[in-house]
Amino acid sequence: MVSQHGILYAVHLITNQFGNLVAKVCECLLRNGALTLQAIVRRTELSPAKVRNCLLVLIQHNCAQAFILEESVSGEDAGEPGKALTQYIALFVNILHRVRFSKFMDVVSKELGGSCGELFRGLLEHGRLTVKQIVDRAGANAKESTNTVQEDLGKLVMAHYVECCPAPEPLVPPPDADTKKRAKSSKVMVEPLTLEQRVMAVAMPSAMRRFSFVPNADQVADDQQNVNQPPSKDVGEKRKLHDLESDTALEEEVECNWRANFEELLRRLRHKTCVDTIKVRFDDAAATVLSAMLEASRAEEDKVKTANSVPLSLNTIYEEVVKNEKNHSMTFDHVRTCLEELSCPPTFVKTDDESYSIDFTKITEAAQSEEIESIVLKRFGETAYKIFRLLFRAGCLMETDKIADRIFAEKKETSKTLFKMWQDGYLLMELLVLCKHLNILPPAIKCYCICRNWLWAVQTGPSYGGSSYLLWKVNKRLLRETILDEMFHAALNLNLRLAHEIDQNKEVLNLPPDKREGPDKQKFDRLRNVRLLIHSSLMKLDDAIMLFHDF
Amino acid sequence: MIKEVVNVKNKGKKHYMAVEFEPSTELTGGAWYDDDGNLHVEFINIVKKCCLQKIKQLKVATLETVLQLFKTSGVFKADLKEHHFEEILGALVLDNEVMEVKSNGMGEFGAIPEGKVCYKAFDKQRVGAAAEPRIGAMASMPCGVCPRIRSCTPDGVVSPSTCVYFQKWLEF
Repeated sequence: MVSQHGILYAVHLITNQFGNLVAKVCECLLRNGALTLQAIVRRTELSPAKVRNCLLVLIQHNCAQAFILEESVSGEDAGEPGKALTQYIALFVNILHRVRFSKFMDVVSKELGGSCGELFRGLLEHGRLTVKQIVDRAGANAKESTNTVQEDLGKLVMAHYVECCPAPEPLVPPPDADTKKRAKSSKVMVEPLTLEQRVMAVAMPSAMRRFSFVPNADQVADDQQNVNQPPSKDVGEKRKLHDLESDTALEEEVECNWRANFEELLRRLRHKTCVDTIKVRFDDAAATVLSAMLEASRAEEDKVKTANSVPLSLNTIYEEVVKNEKNHSMTFDHVRTCLEELSCPPTFVKTDDESYSIDFTKITEAAQSEEIESIVLKRFGETAYKIFRLLFRAGCLMETDKIADRIFAEKKETSKTLFKMWQDGYLLMELLVLCKHLNILPPAIKCYCICRNWLWAVQTGPSYGGSSYLLWKVNKRLLRETILDEMFHAALNLNLRLAHEIDQNKEVLNLPPDKREGPDKQKFDRLRNVRLLIHSSLMKLDDAIMLFHDF
Repeated sequence: MIKEVVNVKNKGKKHYMAVEFEPSTELTGGAWYDDDGNLHVEFINIVKKCCLQKIKQLKVATLETVLQLFKTSGVFKADLKEHHFEEILGALVLDNEVMEVKSNGMGEFGAIPEGKVCYKAFDKQRVGAAAEPRIGAMASMPCGVCPRIRSCTPDGVVSPSTCVYFQKWLEF
């Protein structure tokens, strides 16, 4: 479920890039989940043609996905039983990726060079392209030959930075079949997939097809129809099952559209964050060793939120370290020492029988804790910082006086700080009422605990006499959601403030450079500094959003 | 005949006791409170500083090691027991001056039995290490530390366009 400010932020991004109409349709999908064309028309009060065009734009830029749920239809979209209706779902994660294009470009250009970077930029700008469109674009921009372009595209696909687009309208099975199958094979409780995850899991082509590109000079045909193109006149119409079957057969023969593979790019950014976290906590040498481990185990990683990397031997890690010319001076013993330090508690690298694997979960949690503690320290002060660290580590309810004793603070100040943090949603509070006699127990009691002949009652209502104590706790899951929502809010505010500053100074911006003098020049310089500061803050904040949302 | 004693849990009321009796730590608060029943912040800070110095010298130390060091040195006149040092080490952990970890019996933990709780100082002198704690992304911008963020809306009384904190932040 996307938070309130997450939706506002996503809608703002879409508005900036595609306009109000597309943003209206996007907001409708984000707030209401998956909808049919008719439902979107009803809720947005736009014409079907306009809604259809908006959906095409969103699908073209991978911000929405069409799909078909094969189940009985009821409610406002009731149709004939057994008929499949096309629905649309907004892809919130992909909308957020739109602010990360410069980071993605950086990753690709550094690894594969400028020409691949340029080709990749085209895919980011246009959402998805066929090979012909890629070749035409490269030819128009940099006069590249078809062979060079196809070679570059091949490199990008091989590195998994580019993938074949998902199916345009996949058939998604009902959730029951899916859940039962997974529950049977797994003895561990598995969180059910969201609708978005289920749709994308079915829409994705097989691993072989997804990253299979065969350069072919004759591949680009002018009038070749492509079922993987965003649906045009068929958007919103009911599809019969036998039509879908024939479309699937056709899909096998026709070339696919290509798009950026955000999953791989996110994985690289996660690696970068891990290396940066280790660099701060240890030193450059430890960061180098971790970087080498990530490089060596990259091919085996199958998802972004992997808990651990594959185990590697010391020899493999050392070989990877010295591959880089800058690290030729690092000795085998130095690498071993770094690994021992990383294996010491807190254990960022696990050791098992002479092999080493990275504990991504630990590193991510350490980075998240650092971010939260930084906010608490600056917002509420040093006492709150200590209180927060105490409750976060304890993981259970603690009474006010006990907290004051542990942090060596006055009880009044502790109480005041606890209330402030509770009001902002950083802590949970519960009231414990101590009642000596059973017959004066209030009716609304949450739970009981008998201890030393006294009946302890925990309730959330008013006190009924006797001693009452306030207990405090950090709920980590709720806290992360609160922080993430505040981050979306902050990102939205930065964007709005930048727009306001530009609006206030548009006259100065419209002046030609030679006419900017005196106060106008000062205003222009100030605006330039404002833009730089806000953009860099947005990039930094986006790193933090990824830490809490994607890693 | 009688004397006034301070009750740290109820300083508003006066408490009296016969002179021949000594008040218990429940009333006085123990080693961390002065005669007036106030927290002895200076003394606590001194003990914290000394403990931190010892841990930095040893690189890694257990509670017993720290206790032994202070017992033999006799630095403090006050009778500090093991639980006092445990509280001080706990406070140093909350201050982010030391880490509380469990020994894995390897490397710098070689002399400490595996699984034993020990304390390790952060090495701020190490080359490449940050001198000061890093300020996070949220904390480095006005919204991240704003007490009014919950009331802030794009067109409200509190908004990014009219925000005074933003105004100060963007003063060049």
